[in-house]
Amino acid sequence: MGDLSIQNLVVEYSSGGYALRPINGLNLDVTAGSLVILLGPSGCGKTTLLSCLGGILRPKSGAIKFDEVDVTSLEGGALANYRRDKVGIIFQAFNLVPSLTALENVMVPMCEAGMSRRAARKRAEELLDRVNLGERMKHRPGDLSGGQQQRVAVARAIALDPPLILADEPTAHLDFIQVEEVLRLIRELADGGRVVVVATHDARMLPMADRVVEMTPDFTETTKPPETVEVKAGEVLFEQCTMGDLIYVVSKGEFELVHELSVGGEELVKVAGPGDYFGEIGVLFHMPRAATARARTDATVVGYTAPVFRERLGAGGVRDLIEHRKLATE
Amino acid sequence: MLFAALRDMQWRKRRLIIAVVSTALIFGMTLVMTGLANGFGVEARNTVDSLGVDTFVVKDGAAGPFLGSTPFPDVDLAKIAASPGVVAAAPLGCVGTIMKDGSSTRNVTAFGAPERGPGMPHVSEGRVPSTPDEAAASSTLGRHIGDTLQIGAHTLRVVGIVPNSTALAKIPNIFLTTQGLQQVAYNGQPMVTSIGVVGKPRQLPGGYQTYDRAGAVKDLVRPLKVAVTSITIVAVLLWVVAALIVGSVVYLSALERVRDFAVFKAIGTRSRSIMAGLALQALIVALLAALLGILLAQLLGPLFPMIVAIPGGAYVLLPAVAVAIGLLASLAGLRRVVAVDPALAFGGP
Repeated sequence: MGDLSIQNLVVEYSSGGYALRPINGLNLDVTAGSLVILLGPSGCGKTTLLSCLGGILRPKSGAIKFDEVDVTSLEGGALANYRRDKVGIIFQAFNLVPSLTALENVMVPMCEAGMSRRAARKRAEELLDRVNLGERMKHRPGDLSGGQQQRVAVARAIALDPPLILADEPTAHLDFIQVEEVLRLIRELADGGRVVVVATHDARMLPMADRVVEMTPDFTETTKPPETVEVKAGEVLFEQCTMGDLIYVVSKGEFELVHELSVGGEELVKVAGPGDYFGEIGVLFHMPRAATARARTDATVVGYTAPVFRERLGAGGVRDLIEHRKLATE
Repeated sequence: MLFAALRDMQWRKRRLIIAVVSTALIFGMTLVMTGLANGFGVEARNTVDSLGVDTFVVKDGAAGPFLGSTPFPDVDLAKIAASPGVVAAAPLGCVGTIMKDGSSTRNVTAFGAPERGPGMPHVSEGRVPSTPDEAAASSTLGRHIGDTLQIGAHTLRVVGIVPNSTALAKIPNIFLTTQGLQQVAYNGQPMVTSIGVVGKPRQLPGGYQTYDRAGAVKDLVRPLKVAVTSITIVAVLLWVVAALIVGSVVYLSALERVRDFAVFKAIGTRSRSIMAGLALQALIVALLAALLGILLAQLLGPLFPMIVAIPGGAYVLLPAVAVAIGLLASLAGLRRVVAVDPALAFGGP
């Protein structure tokens, strides 16, 4: 079993024509036998990272190495072999094939790997026994509960004994009784020297993790005093898709706010002059910046943390901020 | 992965049955159409064979011994009969004419030949005509021995019945003596449309050419060429419809299984394995439809008022063509498989 190493990973895709980078410069090293939880809200890039680890999504840049194999450089048949032999995936929606019985669903990866049907059947029976579904092997997914389906999915994921297990929100569709069994199974998977990566937004799963990776940086709102920043014409104040903790009010000069397009180039959103403010939504909601801010002229801005800025707005401040009302003159 | 494809077919068996039955109907109709087109030739061949003539001698430039012939006087009959390679020779006539059938009229093809042949078919009842006012009629005409046939001003007495003798799409044949035909068609002039020869003449008098039986058959089906072409076009269109049905079923199946394919790909199944499964589905639909189509053709054929002679080769060819159609039809579905993004497997239901 091998170690997992992610170096400076950047994933970019197009959404409505704009370039989005849900993962921007991620570094992570995981030793074999570890269970890692990727924690974060929807849209923070957890599933995107799993897709990259599984060889399903190609990152824009950076490297993923698992067991000394550079996953990002694999192509065609080698990539399919990697997915089949090195990775087992447990999906949020179970994703069992509805026309196949539990036994046959578990047999699929083994048959694809060239095992005889007889050997695949024997191994599938053992695996289903292991996940306590020996009595329901002949049932189709539609006749199984959510927890049972997820246990079949676990059996399928480990059918070829892969060293890397990826689980995407494995408990999202399960009630608390079903969750217990699935969590126990997933925890056991890491005990054999495997790397298990679980993506979830449910912080209640954290106790079972050897390591937790928060996909959204934990911003503790500070009340540091406003800071004045002087920017030369053409300089970038912040870039699209990056995180930040300051809301900027223009004191002097002009800034242009632009969307970076996925096909290259930019789209001007607005020009901010003295008295205008920008960058508030990302800071308020702990989301990446939605645009790039660049000085059009030599300019000066004052950066405020969210609490300080709210204080400046006074009563009804947050509502005014979201609606982007004009600032009262100081 | 083939077992997954088979299980999927069981899972969607109702749709499979509809597809197989629909395609089988098309295949059955295609076989019937092929049988119809072939039937014209079979019918003509039966008529030509029944005459017992090996070679038809006609005037140079004539398109055939029957409908394409230019009538000519039989002055060279003796010379031709004496030619080397000729066992027997007889003056033959053929004309398409109309007989009265109660208050209506009916097309018939009249053949003239000497009583003892060659050119006179065997009769299943009665005897062959021996005088100009006698005729042997096809059993399909519905006449009996002793009945009369009225052709123009001529009244012919039926003395014999020739079983199922038709030409030109079920038009009944009647057989007269050569002299009888000359009276009906040429006002008694000693004209013939060909000289029927048993054997193969190695030398002919100048101004003559020969047609063998195959050439004679072609001459007899010439008027039906447009009909045969039309039927063939319909048959081809039916093949296209069959391909579309199989293709639609496989494509719809591929569309419905996009998530399954994404999961298969995500867990390392190669695209070609998934494609093989989909192609297998198309093959099974096409082959089952071909088998059922053959059965349906047997049931549908007799319902047609014309000869449906499905060639033996068509039964062998149908499954082969069905397989080709199945594979061709599944191309759209196969393209869909290649395009499926395994990332679709992630996310909610």
